[in-house]
Order: sequence, then C-alpha cells, then structure tokens
Amino acid sequence: MAYEALDFYDIDSLLTEEERMVRDMVRDWVEDRVLPNIEDACRDGVFPDEWRVEIGEMGILGAPLKGYGCPGLSYIAYGLICQELERGDSGVRSFASVQGSLAMYPIWDFGSEEQKEKYLPGMAKGELVGCFGLTEPDYGSNPGDMITRAEDKGDCFLLNGAKMWITNGTIADLAVVWAKLEGEIRGFIVEKGDEGFSAPEMKGKHSLKASVTSELVFQDCKIPKDRILPSVKGLRGPFSCLNNARYGISWGAVGAAQSCFNSAREYALSRIQFGHPIASFQLVQNKLSWMLREITKGQLLAFHIGKKKDDGSWIPEQISLAKMNNVDMALEIARMSRDIHGANGILDEYPVMRHMANLESVKTYEGTHDIHNLILGRHITGIQSFTREP
Amino acid sequence: MGVAVLLKQVPDTTAKISISGGRVDEGSITKWSISPYDEYALENAIQLKEAGFGDVVAITCGPARAAKCLTEAAAVGADRLIHILTDSYLDSIQVQSLLSAAVKETGFEVVMCGKQAADTNSGSTGPGLASTLGFSCVGGVTGVSIDGGLAYATRLGPSGLEKVEVGGPCVFTFDKGDSELRRPNVRGIMMAKKKPIDSLLPNDLGIGDSDSMVVIKDHSSPPEKQPGQKFVGSESVPEVVEKLRGEANVI
Repeated sequence: MAYEALDFYDIDSLLTEEERMVRDMVRDWVEDRVLPNIEDACRDGVFPDEWRVEIGEMGILGAPLKGYGCPGLSYIAYGLICQELERGDSGVRSFASVQGSLAMYPIWDFGSEEQKEKYLPGMAKGELVGCFGLTEPDYGSNPGDMITRAEDKGDCFLLNGAKMWITNGTIADLAVVWAKLEGEIRGFIVEKGDEGFSAPEMKGKHSLKASVTSELVFQDCKIPKDRILPSVKGLRGPFSCLNNARYGISWGAVGAAQSCFNSAREYALSRIQFGHPIASFQLVQNKLSWMLREITKGQLLAFHIGKKKDDGSWIPEQISLAKMNNVDMALEIARMSRDIHGANGILDEYPVMRHMANLESVKTYEGTHDIHNLILGRHITGIQSFTREP
Repeated sequence: MGVAVLLKQVPDTTAKISISGGRVDEGSITKWSISPYDEYALENAIQLKEAGFGDVVAITCGPARAAKCLTEAAAVGADRLIHILTDSYLDSIQVQSLLSAAVKETGFEVVMCGKQAADTNSGSTGPGLASTLGFSCVGGVTGVSIDGGLAYATRLGPSGLEKVEVGGPCVFTFDKGDSELRRPNVRGIMMAKKKPIDSLLPNDLGIGDSDSMVVIKDHSSPPEKQPGQKFVGSESVPEVVEKLRGEANVI
C-alpha cells in the first residue's frame, strides 16, 4: 500500500504544485532510501554518507534561502521537506535542519560576501557539511553565559572552550561557532583541520542514533581574521538561526506523528484479539481519534506559521508555540502508538519506538519544552522568569 | 533530431482501487503516476539527450490531471510537453491516431514508450503507433543507443540478450531495464513549473475522440482470495492428499 499521510483537513489543497512536487520527491526518497535502511543505520550508529550525497542532489538544503546556489523555496516547502524527512527519522531531519537553518542560514544572513560565496554553494549541494556550536557542557538553556572565548591576536583569532551536543559535528567541514569576543557573543567559522580544533563523537545515545552528535573542542584554536561573521552581535545571531530550525521542527514532528499514526492504524486493523480486530474496540478508536485530532491541529499550526514565515509577519513566540506543541503531541502519539502495538511496538519492525526515542531528544533540543513555555509566559505577562536577580 | 516519449498517467501501482456503480472510482485514487515502463522509456530518452541526441518531447493523452505527468517529465529533463486533452474513453486506434498525429507534429523519427501500460496492460500503443506512422517497431527493449544514424536496441531474447540494429524511423517499447531512474531535484522542479504545456484538443489534430469502437460495459473487483487451510501432524496426511486430489486437482 502506498503511504498515505494523514491529511484530515486537506492541507494538500492549500499547497502550490511546486510545493507538492518537492514534498513528493522527498517522500519518495525517504520511502526508497531511508525506510529500508534506517534500522541498520540506527544499529550501527551512523548517518550513511550516501544520504548526504542524495539529499544534496535533491537540492533541498537551505531550502528557503535565495541566491548563492541555494534553492529559494517557500517556507511552506521547507516545512514539507522537514515533515517528510522526519517521517523517515528525526535524525535525517536533524541533518537537514542543522545544515540549512543553523549553518547555512547564519552565513547567508550575517556572513560577508566572500564567506557566502566560499561556503554556501557547496553547502547547498551537500558537498560541504556544516554544524552549529552554541550549547556547552554547562550552558544549555542559558547560552548567554557561555564560556567559549575568542581573543583578537592581531593577525588571527584564538578560540578556547568546548561545545557539546553538536549535530553533524564530527562529519562537518565547517562549524559556525558562537563565542565571546571582549564579552560580546560573535559568530566564527571554524574549518575542519584548523589548528587546535577537534570534534570527537559522542557515543551511547538511545535516541537519534542515526545522527552524528559531537563535542567541539577548541584549544588555542587559531582562525584567520576573515572568519568572523561581520553583521551580527549578541544572542540575536544564534537565536535567529534557532527560529528557523524550530520552525522546521514544528513540521518535522508532524511527519513523525503521521508515521506513528499510520503504523497504529494499520496494526489495529490487522491485529485480531477476542475474535475481532482491535481497531473495532472503543478504547483503541478513542486513541486513534485523539491522534488524528492532535495531528490535524499540529498541521494547521505548522501551515499557518509557515504562511507567516513566508509573508514575514511572524513573531518568535509563535514559533515557540508550534515547536513545543507539535513535538509534545508527536511524542505522546508515539507513546500511544507503541501502546496500540502492544509488545510488537518495541520491535524495529515498526517505526514507533524509534520515533518515540528520537522525539525525546527533539523535545529537549532547540529550546526545551519548558523553555518554550517560559518564552510564552514572558510574552503573556511581560515578566521574564528565566533568571533570578542576584 | 530528438526523441518523442509517450507517457500514460495511471493509478499508482500501490494505490487502492475501488469500484463504484460498475466503474473504477477515479475520485478515490489518491496517487497517479507515470506508468512504470514509460518511465524507463523517458530515462533512456534523457540519456540520449545527454549524449547529444537532440531534445526530448514528452507527449500524453488524457484528462486535465494527466498534465502532472508531463511536469514530472520536465522535472527530470524533458524539453517540450504536449498534452492531448480529452475526457472521453478512447479505444486503442483512437489513442494511436492521436499520439501519431502529435509525433508527426514534432517531426521526430525516434519514439519511445513503455511496452504496456500499468492499468490496461494491452501493449498495443507502441506497435499500433508504428503501424500508423509507417515506422518499424522494436518491442520489449531495455536500452537504446544511437550511433552514426543507427539505433542499437538491447532486449532479452529467448536465448540471451539480443542487440537489434535499426536504420530508419522506429518506435521502441521499453521493458524494465537496468538503468536506475533518475530522481527530480528542486532545480528541475522549479524549471518544470515554468515550462509551458502545449495543450491540444483532438480536433486540433484532425481526429475525433467520440465513437470509440470499444465500450467498457462494467468494472468489477477480482474475486477475493480464499483463506488458506492449515493442517497439523502426520495424521492429517490422508486428508491433505484427498483435498489435493479432489479439491485442488493438483495430483
């Protein structure tokens, strides 16, 4: 049976032909290339390099960026790409999110002309992989207190510090690293092979196993002066990147939830207990209709914020709501789907346990669930609750 | 110089087909695709184009929804798109006449299509077209190369691979080949969207699309497969033998 993504409110009819074609292209690729291989990739703990090549060939990296060899698609198309990739696996979507929204975007928005021309065309093709260094071992939700420092040595910058939980780190050709220069957060481009830079992989994850997660270590790491991102200072830099990535996640979570819903529906229809398919029992129907309800709401949130991204009328709090809600619902749906699958739900024959474990990370990265609540709390009350006065 | 590729839009091979009022309910088909054998024809045509053998013109005949398969062809490299727009049910001769007229209009002498369509499986379009156009026809090929004005087609013969040399105008019908079908990419999709489709009515080609000589009386689903029977233990051997002899008639 062909995969039919749940689309109860006919979002499909709101898409342009181009958006539908891009979605179908990615959907077919996931069907052909990711789904048959994802369990092996997870077991081996690798992001297969041919996926990088093929994602690059499809031309979907940095989807909404224009110029410098970037695709120039709508934010809706970018969302659909994330949805389809994450229907395969959150790790595959993470690869694309980090490359496009966290590594290409800051160069595209804050980089010099030379930096854009040097890096963006290769990154759009997937020939150069980027990563994003913001989080540190001791500074996650509170990046403003980061320890990593840059020092101006006259003919170069010297970086010292460490980043952690960096998707694509070990396989990256370049890292966009946020560090304090004279007390102010600035972006720097560090290339693989720069003296004093290493990116050891973090092993032992029970989640996002098909995604590379690394530390970035800078020990008197020397980089040329032209590697600083000239046009941004302060947390606005990394936060603008995160807004784009979080937007993509709000769609990606829908894809993971659709996958779990589909699997639960098919399983419930074919699994016979007490002489009847379990889909005929009210408790199971109640679960399935709850899933449909939540996915439909999540799709409408993602679509509407996508339209607002396209016309520029969005505010970051709206993205926080979409990211938080959609990941939350996707995780609950994954758990509920596992429940409907009974013991079978823990097997890798079904995608649900993998999505469930992945979504635990997705709930935490790119602004934890709670931090997004606090962003909304500040928006509602005008009172920030992140820090205490000393 | 160039290749005319004939594409038919069919329900995706994985789509669920339902019957309503003695007819396939097209409205319930959620995914339409280029007929799989036609995709191999398209792939070969694009490979020839890349080898320097002129443009690829993609031609389809069907209702408005069929335009999608032309845009998909453009996304992987078709240069010109012709849509013969008709909502009527057409018999094979009508389809062949319409497609022949469109091929004539291109002036191309190499035509490629699938050996049969995934929905009707009749396999008549390629040979019928060749007959109408007065072209030769090589059927069931898996690859065609062109060198010095001659076409060389490979196909699976009764005793191995056959290589067929063709000198004049020819229709090649394609079987599933070894070449991997290319995927579209974003650049292709964006260019395809801008590519105009030459939309022609049957009358524009001087051919009527009414009075089909074939009338489909009724569609019905194939009978449901009977559930299997399970026998356990050696004591059931006589019963199994009896059933194989009496019911299944296999021994």
